[in-house]
Amino acid sequence: MLDTLSFLLIDGITNGAVYGLLALSLIVIYTVTRVVNIAQGEYVTLGALSFASALSGSFNLLSGLVAAGLAAFALRDVADKHLGASARIRVLLIRSAWIAGVLATAFAASRFPGSYWLAVLASLAATASLGTLTYRLTVEPVSGASPVVLLIVSVGVYMVLHGAAVLIWGAEPRSVPPVVEGGVSLGPVFIAYQSLWICGIAVLAMGGLYAFSERTLMGQALQATAVNRVGAQLCGIPVRLAGQLSFAIGAGFSALSGLLLAPLITANYDMGLPIGLKGFVAAALGGIVEYPTALIGVMLVGLTESFSAFQVSAFRDVIVFLMVIPILLWRNAVRPPEAHEH
Amino acid sequence: MPNLRISGLKVGYGRATVIENLALSVASGELVTVLGANGAGKTTLLNGIMGLAPPRAGSILMEDQELIGLRPEQLVALGVVLVPERRELFGNLTVEVNLRLGGYRTGAPSKSLDRIYSLFPILAERRRQKAATLSGGEQQMLAVGRALMSGPRLLMLDEPSIGLAPLIVQEILRVIGQLKADGLTIILVEQNARLALSMADRGYVLEVGRIVLEGPSGSLSADPRLSQAYLGGAADYAAARDQVYVD
Ligand SMILES: Nc1ncnc2c1ncn2[C@@H]1O[C@H](COP(=O)(O)OP(=O)(O)O)[C@@H](O)[C@H]1O
Ligand SMILES: [Mg+2]
Repeated sequence: MLDTLSFLLIDGITNGAVYGLLALSLIVIYTVTRVVNIAQGEYVTLGALSFASALSGSFNLLSGLVAAGLAAFALRDVADKHLGASARIRVLLIRSAWIAGVLATAFAASRFPGSYWLAVLASLAATASLGTLTYRLTVEPVSGASPVVLLIVSVGVYMVLHGAAVLIWGAEPRSVPPVVEGGVSLGPVFIAYQSLWICGIAVLAMGGLYAFSERTLMGQALQATAVNRVGAQLCGIPVRLAGQLSFAIGAGFSALSGLLLAPLITANYDMGLPIGLKGFVAAALGGIVEYPTALIGVMLVGLTESFSAFQVSAFRDVIVFLMVIPILLWRNAVRPPEAHEH
Repeated sequence: MPNLRISGLKVGYGRATVIENLALSVASGELVTVLGANGAGKTTLLNGIMGLAPPRAGSILMEDQELIGLRPEQLVALGVVLVPERRELFGNLTVEVNLRLGGYRTGAPSKSLDRIYSLFPILAERRRQKAATLSGGEQQMLAVGRALMSGPRLLMLDEPSIGLAPLIVQEILRVIGQLKADGLTIILVEQNARLALSMADRGYVLEVGRIVLEGPSGSLSADPRLSQAYLGGAADYAAARDQVYVD
């Protein structure tokens, strides 16, 4: 009985760590851009599939597409008539380096199949850049639109990215090796190294984001944009860059969770949506704005999921998604929506 | 040579046009005040210059560079900075972080920070406090301090005295006077005409989106049309003072 309990506990915490990365992604994007990002789970899928491609030594088509998109925007930005000569050269250099980075990591990964860190780098570079492209293509043109419009836009993005994943990788699931095979036995309980790896990386990533937000001027600028957009503009903070940055962080974190999770469930085009939605259920506990509450939420969701999987496995997802109702009712009772409008 | 030359300016929101065919100029180092009753379009004018409400026609030249079409962050980089009516502070961030963010473009060097703290010593005492916990007067000082952090060449202040106790107003005016003495070019928007004209070199009077009167402060103060409309409007000022902006 005790081993079952510990097993479920570890399973739940591992799930919680994955959803934690998702919840953070959702919060960063929502607070800075007001987009409730239904498409968030697709970055999980694309991260895992890009990672699988890179590990197997084939060139990641997504990296090529993303580089083309970045190049198109770079051309447009370099041609901006308001730019001074030195600013124009700076834009050109930064963008070239960025595009080169996305392509170089993808090429390097395809040259050295099986190299774990190169594959991680290639996958994250492609997906984080895809996040910025998504922002520029779908959010920037409707900036100032109501949250409902932005939500509907993100449903459209979900459809496109979901389709793109099938087009590029097909419907066959791909198995991905864990970073280290095996695990440790603590008495009767066996813990896979991958579970420890997931929890460790998730904690590191969250700590990194926290340090970035609190300790760097750029991180504080991101917070400022989330708190008061007009105020941020008046400080000379480029709020459109802040939007891109939030999407890059959100997409990168989600992709990270995807490539960490892939060894446990295989990488496939359909893996992202439920993970994204569970991240959303957890983030809803904190109104998609409060990080600490969301972290309680992810552990709640992760543990509920693993315990219900054990008791009534067919209803696992149903139970987790039903949690959103009490969560929203509770949220509404303690913090009515108008209380945090300004 | 005028530092700022505005002509034919048209600004509005949605379908409504608020300001039309407006002309205004500010010489380098000058303090110019824009007066007008509530709803005259003073804030809209400043929002237009700052690119927050993009102008629909006209031209805004600063030393022969056209400012229309630039985004707010590009204007801040050129030294055009606004202290908004609603202050727009970052309430859940500390006083010091608010100030640092004001200097975002230049990396917020400690030297600028020290200068703000010497201008407003109370902010140094409150540096670790969240901006939302400050009094109205302290928030206004923070808003001015944050704007100064970016090293402005043209500072625009939107009703800095509104809602504040006379003593605090004195404190803010002292700093504005000091900035003027240091040679900063300033546009001061006020409803309190007497106060503004006592500091300004020249003034404009705005009425429903149009300039109806302009001239040096001395002749404006003596102008019967102005005294009729505003200087007698002590009730206006008292009403404005009771209006407190909290964000
Ligand atoms: N965001 C806005 N949207 C629509 N109308 C506005 C907005 N802000 C101001 N107005 C209108 O523009 C006019 C001028 O307002 P404003 O510039 O704030 O005047 P003032 O600053 O002189 O009091 C008013 O009639 C006001 O109702
Ligand atoms: Mg106003």
